[in-house]
Amino acid sequence: MGAELGKYKSCVSARTTDKEILKFSQDGGIVTSLFGFALDTGIIDGAIVAANKEFYEKNPSKCILDNSNFEMIEPWRPIPAVVNTKAELLAAAGTKYNISPNVALLKEATRAFGLDKIGIVGTPCQMQAVRKAQLYPIGFRDVGASIALAVGIFCMENFPYQGILQLVEDHAAMKLDAVKKMEIGKGKFWVYGKRGQVVSLPLKVTHKYEQPGCHVCLDYVANLGDISTGSVGSPDGWSTVFVRSKIGDSVWAKAMAAGVFETQPIEKVKPGLELVTKLANEKITKNKKTLEGRATFGVGKALRNPYI
Amino acid sequence: MSKVVEISPTTRHEGHSKLVLKVNDAGIIEKGNWCSITPVRGVEKLAVGKTPEQVPKIASRVCGICPIAHNLAGTEAMEASIKCEIPNDAKLLRHILQLANRAHSIALHNILLLPDYYIPGTETKINPFTPEEPVRSVAKRIQRIREIGQTIGQIAAGDCIHPRNTRVGGMYRNVSEQAKTKMYDLAKEGLTLAHQQAEFMIAVIRNYHNRDFVDVGGMKVPMPKTLGYHNQGYLATHAFYGSSSLDECPSWDIRRFKEARPYDWYMGEMEVTLEEPKYPIGGTTKLGTKTNPQMEACTGIPMYDGQPVEVGPRARLVTYKNYDEKGTAGQNIARQMEYQDCFYEMIDCLDELNPNGKVVADYIPDGDGSLGWASNEAPRGTDVHIARVKDWKVQYYSMLVPTTWNFATCSAALTGAPWQLAEVIMRGYDPCVSCATHMIVVDEENRLVAQKLIQ
Repeated sequence: MGAELGKYKSCVSARTTDKEILKFSQDGGIVTSLFGFALDTGIIDGAIVAANKEFYEKNPSKCILDNSNFEMIEPWRPIPAVVNTKAELLAAAGTKYNISPNVALLKEATRAFGLDKIGIVGTPCQMQAVRKAQLYPIGFRDVGASIALAVGIFCMENFPYQGILQLVEDHAAMKLDAVKKMEIGKGKFWVYGKRGQVVSLPLKVTHKYEQPGCHVCLDYVANLGDISTGSVGSPDGWSTVFVRSKIGDSVWAKAMAAGVFETQPIEKVKPGLELVTKLANEKITKNKKTLEGRATFGVGKALRNPYI
Repeated sequence: MSKVVEISPTTRHEGHSKLVLKVNDAGIIEKGNWCSITPVRGVEKLAVGKTPEQVPKIASRVCGICPIAHNLAGTEAMEASIKCEIPNDAKLLRHILQLANRAHSIALHNILLLPDYYIPGTETKINPFTPEEPVRSVAKRIQRIREIGQTIGQIAAGDCIHPRNTRVGGMYRNVSEQAKTKMYDLAKEGLTLAHQQAEFMIAVIRNYHNRDFVDVGGMKVPMPKTLGYHNQGYLATHAFYGSSSLDECPSWDIRRFKEARPYDWYMGEMEVTLEEPKYPIGGTTKLGTKTNPQMEACTGIPMYDGQPVEVGPRARLVTYKNYDEKGTAGQNIARQMEYQDCFYEMIDCLDELNPNGKVVADYIPDGDGSLGWASNEAPRGTDVHIARVKDWKVQYYSMLVPTTWNFATCSAALTGAPWQLAEVIMRGYDPCVSCATHMIVVDEENRLVAQKLIQ
């Protein structure tokens, strides 16, 4: 495989052995289990995750401070929060196909939250931001050394809240409140209702709701996480896991030794790494066109290419 | 026949200032002027028309060592003007921030003072940066105290330099239980170090002042027993925190305060007639240079009952505990004696702090233009901010900064000392000159003095 999958020490298909987590998790429960294990063993003393407004109502002091729209009823809006227990992790489990500004809580985690070893989950661009903060700590004094575990998730593109709102409530004709889970897979956007309904939309329909800023991203599998994970490449209920850094390797090895995960070799599963590579290359090719287009856009001045 | 010697710039303190000294034939100061030559920033004028949340953040930028004092005094002046009481947990967080900053500041001042002093029992002056013992352990301890202070400060306030958690009405957010535990652990460690450092510094200070002669740039200078003595009196508003016009019994009286232009208290135009190239470092100002403290001084002269007063650690100890040691030795020892309470009081505040308590006032009025003032007992002394807020806009803002109070007082304290020890007297005030120079001074033709200097 080329550079499209980033550097990694190992790759497996994995699933948590904790049945309770599987009830709430998106796929293999990798992120929830990793943070749960890391909290239990003191590898981290808090994790920044994408919780939701229900969590915010019960635990406002654990969430990001933002006075803009907390009174509005917005089911499925992700709210970044610092969590410390398994119960809190479960309350925040599951993918929200929405922008969740986790990095905005990173500095506060070392300040008012008093953390010394932070776990953070994020999309590829958020992993890039975390590493930038570690290398160029302007506005991030004393933060870099406190990042104990950064978990990246695969991402083709993200959506603003209003985009998902319209996709679910108009295109899929369901109330967001009534949604139990959302998923992107097999070329479709799936919406699962609490009462058992399943609606799927062709991915083509979702394209115009994508966040435009995502179209310059050349990172599908979170190249800069300590560990990166996503559903693509693994069977239903399992996740593909890339172990990338020394930190990631150490944490993963400890978690495996403690029996937190069951794994299968990625070579043995369908659809396997070929699909991950194919999608990664599709993203990179597609977005490179946006970058090239930007070079001649505008009044005699190119729009910024974040990769040069 | 008096001679004039000028030391410019002065060193080992924050900011830019100079000493213009009229001395007799024996080199003893007859009259001394200590004046700021830091350029004016005009923060008080910038503030007019801004919102009350912006102004404390701008005021904070006046200084990087004591931004806390200005941020807290500014915020509380706004709250005093709009008459807003803040929740107790917000008060506790502010107290913790104040004490943490004080610990770091005293430690920093230790580094600035130490090169004047001797390793007790020897003729070796202390170089805080030497890798040799016993000084290296002291330097490490100083740095650890500073690190502890700044870390606690940044947990309570978001950032230790230019706090971002303070807001009009309280604080933006409370700390977590984990954060409280971390601050507590650090405070306990800091307390042990504070005891050790205070003991060391007091021994070194006493050793220095007990000597008959000290060395300044190779010159043997007699050490007077009354070095730095003055009888200007003291001003303090609280043992460690401050007061405001909202208090039931405010400890500062605005009616007793007046401010004059430096013209009243400083000497006029003179020429330097005494030069000493050996004076560390780089010698004193060249013969024949013209100097004019009245016109060059960049601060106003605040007075209490028409006289300059001393503010600072000794002022607090005198006001609240009848401390009676005078002079530069007394000042520096008083400062070391404030070390321990930084942590004792902080531990008390942490014990009382409820991480689940609310930290923002329920109701924050817009302000009706009433005058409000708040004082903050900064490490260097009483910092009073005065504000008027109407309809959420600042109409008036004034900062009476500790070192501003001390400029004329220290000038008075210079009389009777050998001129080579003038800087030693000045350092006893732990000057923060940038803080002091934030206002515009207008001369008799109503031209801005700062402008005149630039021309």
